[in-house]
Amino acid sequence: MQKKTILSLIVMVIFASNLFSQVEIGGYVETDNRCRLQGDKHYTWNENRLGLKFEGNSSDKLHFYSELRLRGFGFPKSAASWDLQRREKDEVYPWALEFREAYVDIYGFLMENLDVRIGRQRITWGTADRLNPTDNLNPDDLEDLFNFGERLGSSSLKATYYLGNAMLTGVFVPVFTPAILPPPDWAAAFSAPMSLPPGMIIRDISDSLILPEEKLSESSMTGFKVATTLLNYDVSLSYFNGRDDLPLFNSVTITPVDTLGTVDVSSTLTFPRMQIVGADMAGAIGKVGIWAEGALTIPERVAMSTTLPTPMGMTTQTSTALDDEPYFKYVVGGDYTFKNGLYVNAQYLHGFIHERGRDELKDYIVFRFEKKFLNDGLKIVPFGGAISIEDWDDVKNSYGFVGAPEIDYCPSDNIELTLGAFLIEGKGESLFSRVKENDEVYVKVKVSF
Amino acid sequence: MRRISLLTAIFTLVLFAGVEAQELTAVDILKKADAVVNAPKDQKMLSKMILIDKDGWEKVRETEMYQKGDDKRLVRFLSPADQKGIAFLGLPNDVQYLYLPAFKKVRRIASHVKNTKFAGTDFTYDDLSAFKFAEEYDPKLLGTTGECYLLELTPKPDVKKDYGKLKMWVRKDNFYPVKIEYYNKGGRLWKIMERRKLKKQGNYWYTEEMEMKDVKQKHSTKMLVDKMEFDTGLTDKLFTQRYLKRRK
Repeated sequence: MQKKTILSLIVMVIFASNLFSQVEIGGYVETDNRCRLQGDKHYTWNENRLGLKFEGNSSDKLHFYSELRLRGFGFPKSAASWDLQRREKDEVYPWALEFREAYVDIYGFLMENLDVRIGRQRITWGTADRLNPTDNLNPDDLEDLFNFGERLGSSSLKATYYLGNAMLTGVFVPVFTPAILPPPDWAAAFSAPMSLPPGMIIRDISDSLILPEEKLSESSMTGFKVATTLLNYDVSLSYFNGRDDLPLFNSVTITPVDTLGTVDVSSTLTFPRMQIVGADMAGAIGKVGIWAEGALTIPERVAMSTTLPTPMGMTTQTSTALDDEPYFKYVVGGDYTFKNGLYVNAQYLHGFIHERGRDELKDYIVFRFEKKFLNDGLKIVPFGGAISIEDWDDVKNSYGFVGAPEIDYCPSDNIELTLGAFLIEGKGESLFSRVKENDEVYVKVKVSF
Repeated sequence: MRRISLLTAIFTLVLFAGVEAQELTAVDILKKADAVVNAPKDQKMLSKMILIDKDGWEKVRETEMYQKGDDKRLVRFLSPADQKGIAFLGLPNDVQYLYLPAFKKVRRIASHVKNTKFAGTDFTYDDLSAFKFAEEYDPKLLGTTGECYLLELTPKPDVKKDYGKLKMWVRKDNFYPVKIEYYNKGGRLWKIMERRKLKKQGNYWYTEEMEMKDVKQKHSTKMLVDKMEFDTGLTDKLFTQRYLKRRK
């Protein structure tokens, strides 16, 4: 028995060392620090991150990849002296381990032209630059509002069949994962302030999420895509059947606490089912690079119930939180490099991530001017950012603007120093005007290995 | 009698060689130069790119390159860590793609990017593509310099290039282009490419060292070949978006 155990151990060690020898380990260390420019100059972000990537090919037909992030947030959460005595030290220096991706690729699975990827993965759809209405298979990661396009990995199965210059992809995501929302000081960008009947004062607000049941019929999502090249343009058509990863209020209950008008507000949020038919293209007109991407969303109707006190007692009113009328989000954009090396990238977006329903879609212009110096060692973005327009008939009172100048310097290989700012201005109820007091300056240092 | 025969033979050889040289037009020389560089059915190369700035500071990149025929080429960075995995695919009809692992996306390269520098090197995306000079430039024979023909190339009317003209030195003995000067549209010297350490492996010529120098920016990129293989049977499938994303 002992012999068998030792033999098994030896086999395991040989197998493990053989596998380990095929693994390449790389990654980065990054520190990201941000400070408000207004008010008390709050220090808002102090993140230190170790990103680790493991990758290897066990054979010509097998590839594996995994990415982990170990993150520390330098804001103590200690509320009592006991927190300072905790051996985990996590109240003094909160940290988290994030599992970004872990998947296996099988190339030529069952047939020569079929590749399969299984595991937690990022599936990037869409030709636009970081604002992709057809990219819906991974949940949004909106923790950093200005890091557009960041998404979590999804546990899924992706199969891609290659036929000439065409590519057919099918994706199955068995488990629904909701989006990560921005921290409270930025979340206001996504929701208008709550309006209550006159005289009411809120004492307490609470909510609960209604996640889909853990059965395939409720929580799974599917996607299909056909991509090819036509007349020197890359084009694709896609279909998604799943859920919106951003929660939507479907009930609000306002409960009186006293006779002075003080109330508690509780709500529930759901994740609407939706189908999305998408299309995209990329190519060039003359020397200008162009792209376009559109997504026709066909949502499931979501009812809204509001329960509130009336002179006749608690009354429930029903309305519609999300109509089942289809709506169309799209992006058109282009980029160009001038002879002097100045690079310009501009996009027009109709319908931001959180906007749902035909009447809710707003317009945005996103742009970036950048110039590289010192053989790409220094990149200056003197003028970059976004403009939001709520109402074209009253632009003067319904606009939002964020400027994002940035300097990026690489003194040597694998080192990147970044200094930048978010400068926000606006009027009315636009995405940016709601957070116009949040101007920030940031410094990032990243070392890759 | 033997002396006369020998002289006759030498005279005949010189005469015929002269006739051949006279008969070679600039187009012939350029086509031969293209043919020599693209002679292998396919090529696999591991190399180091050394980026040298005006103060002599160096940055090193390791690359792998695959080429099939004279119009398909795939270049991938193996190091440094922050550039590893960046890959470029050049296909016929001026179609080019770039894979950026950080975004997990393949992007088509629009023509405005083709004349910009590739990842900080002195090679443009266009320089990295496999192509035949004779198809894109009209040559003129300026003369000979020692062991080389000197050609002047101007872009064909329907070909858009940022270069106004090129001067190319082509070796007389094997038609290998050993030096190219790139001029901007104002006629000023912009870049110089030199190929050194010419070597023959099997039936094919290649250089173990190539340097592209940006005269204005006083920056250069030296490419040193670590390993070169010819005719290994690379398939067309390697030169697709499918393989561009794949790790080696």
